Amino acid sequence: MPALQIDSFLLILRLLLIVLLYLFLMQVVIAITRDLRKSAASSEDASTRLPTVIGHLVVVDSGPSNILPGTRFDLAAQTNIGRGPTNTIQIPDNFISAEHTRIWFRNGSWYVQDAGSVNGTYVNNKPAVEPIPARPGDIVRVGYIQFKLAQ
Amino acid sequence: MAQIAQTIQRSPHYRWKELGLLIIPFLVLLVAMTQLLLANTDPRSSLNTSNLPTIQGLIPVFGLIAGLLVTNVVFSIFFRKADQVLLPLAGLLSGLGVLMSTRLGPDISPPDGPIPDLGSKQLEWVLLGLIICIATMFILRNISALARFKYTFAALGFLLLLPSVIKGILTFKSNAPARDVLAIPFFSLQPSELLKICIIIFFAAYLGENRDVLAQGYLPLGRLRLPPLRQLGPLALMLTLSLLVFLVVRELGLALLIYGLFLSMTYLASGKLSYVLVSLAIFAVLVFIAYGILSYIRVRFLIVSTNVVDWSAASESIYQNVLGAGQIVQGLIALSSGGILGAGLGLGHPAGRFFVPVVQSDMVFTAFGEELGLAGLFAIIGIYLLIIYRGFRIAVESTDAFNQLLAAGLTSIFAIQTFIIAAGNMKFIPLTGIPLPFLSYGGSSILANYIIIGILLRISYNNAVERDGTT
Repeated sequence: MPALQIDSFLLILRLLLIVLLYLFLMQVVIAITRDLRKSAASSEDASTRLPTVIGHLVVVDSGPSNILPGTRFDLAAQTNIGRGPTNTIQIPDNFISAEHTRIWFRNGSWYVQDAGSVNGTYVNNKPAVEPIPARPGDIVRVGYIQFKLAQ
Repeated sequence: MAQIAQTIQRSPHYRWKELGLLIIPFLVLLVAMTQLLLANTDPRSSLNTSNLPTIQGLIPVFGLIAGLLVTNVVFSIFFRKADQVLLPLAGLLSGLGVLMSTRLGPDISPPDGPIPDLGSKQLEWVLLGLIICIATMFILRNISALARFKYTFAALGFLLLLPSVIKGILTFKSNAPARDVLAIPFFSLQPSELLKICIIIFFAAYLGENRDVLAQGYLPLGRLRLPPLRQLGPLALMLTLSLLVFLVVRELGLALLIYGLFLSMTYLASGKLSYVLVSLAIFAVLVFIAYGILSYIRVRFLIVSTNVVDWSAASESIYQNVLGAGQIVQGLIALSSGGILGAGLGLGHPAGRFFVPVVQSDMVFTAFGEELGLAGLFAIIGIYLLIIYRGFRIAVESTDAFNQLLAAGLTSIFAIQTFIIAAGNMKFIPLTGIPLPFLSYGGSSILANYIIIGILLRISYNNAVERDGTT
C-alpha cells in the first residue's frame, strides 16, 4: 500500500513539474508582450511630441580645428558626434575620435556621454564617462573643441 | 539589513516583475527536490539515502533560491532599470542544471564517480557565477570602453589558451579529441570559454567601426562584391587564428561555434547575404579538407551515419569498435525511453556503468530527455528561445553600433552553442564536446555564461538610463 501511495505521489509531482515549466514560459511571454506594448506606446509618444531639431551646439572655442567659432550645429533627440561617417555631426579634426560623443534629450534634460573617445568629453570640465545631465548654457568640450549648449 | 529595507521602501519601483517571475522557478526547484527525495526512498530507483544523503538534496535547492533572491535585491538597489526577465530565465536553467547534477552525481560510474555532492559543487559555481555577473555589471560602467581595447582582448584570449596549444601540439600525433584545461591552483578553468567572449568583443568592435565599408563592398570578384582587403584582413586573420587554435587543441565544437558567430555577426553588421553564402562555401571546403586530413573527424561522421533504427551488423560493429559511438547510441536509447512525459526525476537510468558516458556535461541533454521527457525538453528549448529573444531585443534597443553588435553576438553564443550540442546529442550533426549553456556540469561554462548575462543586463541598464534619464 505505501508503495502505491508513493507511486501516485511521484506521478503527481512529475506532472506538476512539467505543468509548472509551461506556466513559467507563459508568464514570461505575458511579461514580454506587456513590455512590448509599453515601449511601442512610448515610442509613438516620443515621435509625435518631439520636433526633429530641439537644440543647438554653438562653437565657442574651436581649439586646433578649422571650424569657425559661432558655427551652430543642430541637435536632434539623439545626436552622435565624431569623425566617422555614421555620426549626425561629423567633425574632421585629428583630436576627435571616429565615434566621440553622444548627446540625447530625455524627460526635459539633455544628457552627454563619451562614446569611448581618446581625448574625452567634458561637461563644464567634468569628464562625461557616464551620462551627465546638461542644461542650455553649459559648456560641452569634445576633444579640444568647446561648444555651448543652446536651445 | 535595516538599510536595505529602507532603500526598498524608499524606491517605489522595486524589481517586482523579476521577483514575480522567480516564484515559479522556485516552485519548480522545490517540486523537483521533493521528487528526488521521494525517489530516494523508492527501492526501484538507483538512488538511495546512502549514495544521495538527504542533506545533499536540500543544499543545492535552498542555496540557489537564496542566491537568486540576494541577486534580485542587489539588482533592485543598484540596477533597477536593467532587464527583469533574463535573471529568472537563466536562474531556472541553472536550477535545472544544479538539480540534474545532484541527481546524476551518485550514479556516475567509477573511476570518476560516484560523486554524492556533485549538486553542491555545481551550486558553488552558480553562486560564483551570480557574483561575477553582478561584478561585471559594476565594472562595465561604460561599455564603449571595451571597444577601444579590442586588440588587447583578442591577445588576452589567445594568451589564456597558449598552454593548451602547447599541450595540443605535443600530443597532436595521438589524434584523440582533448579538452583544454588550464590548471590554476584551487580550480581548473577552460580558457576557451573566456576566449569566445574576447572574440565577440573583438568582432563587435571591429565590425562596428568598419560596417559602412563592409556594407558598401568594392572589391569585385566575379559577380560578388567583397570588402577591400584592408578591412577584411584583421577579421579573416582573427578567424583563421581561432580556427587553427581549436584544430590544434582539438575543440571542434568551439571551432564550429566561432565560425557560426563570425557568420552571424558579419551578416548583422553588413546585412549582405553574399558574405554568408561565400563564408558557407569556404566552410564546406574547410570541412572537406579536414575530413581528408583528420581521422577523428572521419570517425565523428561515421558515427552520424550509423543506422540505429534498423540495427544491422554494420551498426553493431561501429557500436562495439568506434570510440564515442556508444555514447550517442546510449543517448538515443535514453531519449526514446523517456517518451513524452519522461521517467520522472530520479527514476530513469541516465548515468551508470552501462549507460551514457559523461552524461553530466556533454550528454546532459539526453538525461533531461529521459527524466523530463519530450515535454520537458520542449520547455527547456522554450526557455533558451526566450533568453535569445530577450538578448536580441536588448540589441535592438541600444543606440550605438558596438553595443548592438556586442549584445547580438553574445546572444548568438547561446543560440549556436545550444544548437551544436543538442543536435550532436540527437545524432543530427557530429557530436562535439561543448557544454549546454547553464545545464551542463562545469565551472568555466557557468562563469562564462553569467559574464554574458552580466554584459547583456548592463547594456539593457544603459539603454534604459539613456531612454528615461538617470535613476
